Amino acid sequence: MSNQVIDLLQKLRQSAIKRGLQALISYHEEDSYLMRFANSAISLNTNEHLISLDFIAFDGRKKVSYSMIADPSDFESMEKGLDALVEMLPHAQALSYEPTFPVYEKDVLDERAFDPALAALTNEERLAYFNTLAEGLENDDVKLSGIFSSGTTTTAQISTANEHSQTFRSTDAQITAVLSSESLKWEVNAEQSAQKKSDLDAEGLHADLALLVKHYQEDQSVQLPVGKYTVVLGPAATAELSNIMAYYGMTGGALMQGYSFLKEEDQGKHLFSEKINLLDDPREVEIYAQNADRYGLERKPFPLIAEGRFQAFMWDQDSADEFGKTPTGHDVTHASLVMDGGEKSVATLKDLLEMPREEDILYVPYIHYMNVVNPTQGMVTGSSRFGALFLKKDGSVQVPYNVRLTQKFSDFFGERVQWVSNEQVAYNVSSSYGRRNPTALKVPRFICVKEIEISHSNPSY
Amino acid sequence: MREKIKEQIDLLKAKGAHYVDARWYPREDSNFLFMWNGNLKENNASSQSGMGVRVLYNGAWGFSASSALTNPSAIFDRAFDNARIASERVTFPIRLAEKEAVVDSFTSPNQIDPFTVGLDEKVAFLQKMDAALNQPGVVQRFGMLEFVRKQIIFLDSEGSEIEKNIIEVFPSIHAMGIDKDGGMQRRKYQPGRTGATRGWESINETDFLANAERIVSELNQVLVADDAPNGKMSVILLNGIMFLQTHETIGHALELDRILGYELSFAGGSFVRLEDFGNLRYGSEKLTARANALEPNSPGSFGFDDDGVPAQDNLLIDKGILVGAITGRQMVEEANAKAKKQIFDGSSGANRATSFYRVPIERMTNINIDPGTDGSLEDIIANTKYGLVLDGDKSWSIGSNREQFHFACDIGWLVEDGKKKQVVKNPTYRGETLPFYNSLTAVGDESTWNVHYVENCGKGAPNQIMQLGHGVPVCRFDNVQVGE
Repeated sequence: MSNQVIDLLQKLRQSAIKRGLQALISYHEEDSYLMRFANSAISLNTNEHLISLDFIAFDGRKKVSYSMIADPSDFESMEKGLDALVEMLPHAQALSYEPTFPVYEKDVLDERAFDPALAALTNEERLAYFNTLAEGLENDDVKLSGIFSSGTTTTAQISTANEHSQTFRSTDAQITAVLSSESLKWEVNAEQSAQKKSDLDAEGLHADLALLVKHYQEDQSVQLPVGKYTVVLGPAATAELSNIMAYYGMTGGALMQGYSFLKEEDQGKHLFSEKINLLDDPREVEIYAQNADRYGLERKPFPLIAEGRFQAFMWDQDSADEFGKTPTGHDVTHASLVMDGGEKSVATLKDLLEMPREEDILYVPYIHYMNVVNPTQGMVTGSSRFGALFLKKDGSVQVPYNVRLTQKFSDFFGERVQWVSNEQVAYNVSSSYGRRNPTALKVPRFICVKEIEISHSNPSY
Repeated sequence: MREKIKEQIDLLKAKGAHYVDARWYPREDSNFLFMWNGNLKENNASSQSGMGVRVLYNGAWGFSASSALTNPSAIFDRAFDNARIASERVTFPIRLAEKEAVVDSFTSPNQIDPFTVGLDEKVAFLQKMDAALNQPGVVQRFGMLEFVRKQIIFLDSEGSEIEKNIIEVFPSIHAMGIDKDGGMQRRKYQPGRTGATRGWESINETDFLANAERIVSELNQVLVADDAPNGKMSVILLNGIMFLQTHETIGHALELDRILGYELSFAGGSFVRLEDFGNLRYGSEKLTARANALEPNSPGSFGFDDDGVPAQDNLLIDKGILVGAITGRQMVEEANAKAKKQIFDGSSGANRATSFYRVPIERMTNINIDPGTDGSLEDIIANTKYGLVLDGDKSWSIGSNREQFHFACDIGWLVEDGKKKQVVKNPTYRGETLPFYNSLTAVGDESTWNVHYVENCGKGAPNQIMQLGHGVPVCRFDNVQVGE
């Protein structure tokens, strides 16, 4: 596989050189499978095999690009993309800064995140996984939905500067299983991120779903009064918050464009709870890390928050070029964010439910449709979904619905943090809007934060 | 290729497939230019070609797609195999609503193909816009031009053969500044679709320059403004936020696949139930909404959907009462069967896929609100005691069943005793869908109505981005929670 890819890149490199182009040539191949469930049936079973090429031509301060989804047997069409660059380049406008032309100093082959067994997963195995996780939990009213998305992603780059190339290959799976009541419209879920076949754990998802369904069927529903609550965030909520916070707040581009809630002088300042450590860690294969960025920079562990102190901004190559900064190896399609675990052992939802409670606790596993209300304040909003529970001080449990949280990142990860679970979990945040781009974060299983404001709550089912 | 496709469709029919269709994209081109603070940061052209095949077998769908077309039979065989395994877990065998076989074509109306316009001219347009935005108070500015041209050949096992040639243009300009409290503020302009065509000619430089002046002026007022007030009051939504209100709480809520639970693992469901059609008071009598895929100038108009059903203009909400949904062939059959009555007469022609490698799903077309009888914007303001005029889609967050929402806008104007007063910054409002639309007390006339395009509506798994439109008037809602 990799030899074929490199052979193609070398051929394209020669074609680019023949045309007098100084170019970066990038390859993306996905072999994607998605089995979707709705109303307890397979509503769609699909696969796509797509090969995409990106060419960027440089001429001093000018830069143009051409992208294509290509037929691998049609080299002539691929060369037409290079011809298009030759036509476009004279008409490009020079940038006010010098863009870096990538020169790879060595060959890179990173297949640490590739698992042949996961790559070869069959339709029958995907179906069996879902049958196991839902066993005994469906009925005329409670229906199964979900996705089993898995695939192989190969990316590679070469530039006309020399013959060195870099190739990355990974396998990934993202599983979401939802059980919902058709009559009452409640919905609970269980999710899994996998990088290798042996990660798959249908029984674990079954246990999570069974516990949540039991509470949703047996416990009293409640419309929570608005006000302040001690909230325990689940991994989906923590991962989404961390991901958005890093994207909006901790990139050099966002800083220079005025969108970040952080300022340059905030580096080194104690802005978050001492219990919070956030790292971009390319050693974490489980979350599809890569060891070099698109410009060939070696990726190294990059602390963002250390014991509550904000450390540094991530600089991609273009932003670094424009603003005279040093790139930090962040010209990547996804970072590899890890939030450290804490000191309290709470491994499962069952553990959380069984913990002695000194106050009422709102468990928010998932924040639906999170959006940034005010980027410079770092304020986001979203509603609870998929299995929120209200854990009463007296040991009883109630079921809330559509609880809206409109808070700042510093509210979620600042001094109000009470405890962080020792146990961590990989949470898959991949979307499939564009090319396959497996993305996950490793986050604490639970984070407890006090005084989180609930601004709206719907009548429960 | 067409003959090869027909051969493969026949072969799968012979193997037991109930229905087969193929969408072959001989070519889809796009061109994206992005100028930030005078720098042409993106100058990208792209192309793609390939085929997607959908097979219905024993009541279940299989789909496969590839950009490798040297052996199309492999795509058909894969789709058939995917359907075969899917048929092992069927609870409601898929049936498709009847339709006429169609042999036809559709070409979107345009005078100038943007792909025939030179790069120099496009860059010059962006440079002019950049210069117009580069004024005191503006610290960041950008302009975008995106052009799409696609050819789609649709063939199905029922004898349909449709060719579509579609061109779209998506231009916009944006200006940002830092307010007196250090916050980033922005205004943007994307033109309403007022003409009869949607090619390069629809980008009116004079109009853009005038609006560049307007948004810079408005931005500078926001930069020195106080925060919007909190509390319950009237909100008058201009097109730049009313389109999104309509999109999120009428459009998505009325997609029949969401209503039937087909999006529960991702985008969410809908508070609407099958028994609500014909009965539910969705809004006040001033609310009439429709799905009109026949607007000439919008990306929500496409000739035929990806089931091969002709585009239509259908009522969704008639004087406040829910009467229709956004539907495709599969969902109307299931809805009628589940409701044990004929709610829907047939597909409304709204099943669309974003590309050859995605399967069609229910998508909005042009989800419009009919103009009302409450006059111009000025008339509505004059009849408002206390509230805010709001514009700009800064942020949006909606409950999973579309029953509640939170929006933040780019700008607000205070209204007191029928007069538009000072600008306020950081306005937000929230509400619950049904009470909100039932508090609709004024709908602007034709002078306030235009079609606002949406180029990035996300839905489905695998995820899909779709382009569509919303023709909306200015609307006033009373007793709305503002702030928070």
